[in-house]
Amino acid sequence: MNETWLIYLGFAAGLLAVGLYTLLTMRNVIKLFIGIEVVSKAVSLVLLSTGFARTHILLAQSLVITFIVVEVSLVATALALIINIYKRTNSLDVRRLAKLKG
Amino acid sequence: MTGHILLLCGVVLFSILAVLSKDLIKSAISLAVASLLLGILFFLMGAPYAGVFEISVVAGLITVLFILTIALTKTEGEVRESKAVRIAFPLFFVVFIVIDVLVMKGLIPKIQALAGPAETGTFGDVLWKQRTFDLVGQLAVILAGVFAVLALFRKRDKDE
Repeated sequence: MNETWLIYLGFAAGLLAVGLYTLLTMRNVIKLFIGIEVVSKAVSLVLLSTGFARTHILLAQSLVITFIVVEVSLVATALALIINIYKRTNSLDVRRLAKLKG
Repeated sequence: MTGHILLLCGVVLFSILAVLSKDLIKSAISLAVASLLLGILFFLMGAPYAGVFEISVVAGLITVLFILTIALTKTEGEVRESKAVRIAFPLFFVVFIVIDVLVMKGLIPKIQALAGPAETGTFGDVLWKQRTFDLVGQLAVILAGVFAVLALFRKRDKDE
């Protein structure tokens, strides 16, 4: 069972790599947010696969559902913020946000 | 097990497509397909409730929110990403996986097995009786999200 768990962890690491790379290199705010979504997929995969491998699937399932609810709330708020940023700067470029005005 | 691995490959591939695609709509749809595959995997792992949530909420609702935002923020000149981003991706991916495997090899033997007997009862028992506090937290998070969205889209009064 431990080997199966390692396979899941390997794929989750792949998803984490994709998400982190996006967060480190991209400039489009929506793309950055897609990166956060990919990282969150890795987290739910790790949670559920650990429960699956250690025969605690019900507990893992309830934790994944809690995580998904938190994720939705985060997405709604962040996308509202992105629309507001777009209204102010007329661009989705994250570098424009570095200019602070007092 | 082969089905599981194929689905996992699909999730990773569609996530890569979502990140590297130039068109934002294609990115959002690729992300939805990745969520759908992950949801099917959850079903196969014996977690139907998590699968239903993943497919309906993440693949459905979040994709709709993404497409709505992309439609509302249509820019004339798209944000130009650096050309090095696509070239350096495979290198970063391989290096990250190698480092991860090396670190996990050392860490995993040190993780102790979960204490306590195997699970009994139904999913409802675990969710409503064992994780009651989580449900309160979920309610608080949903309320916080609703108030945040309301605050962000508040219109200005005329006398301001």
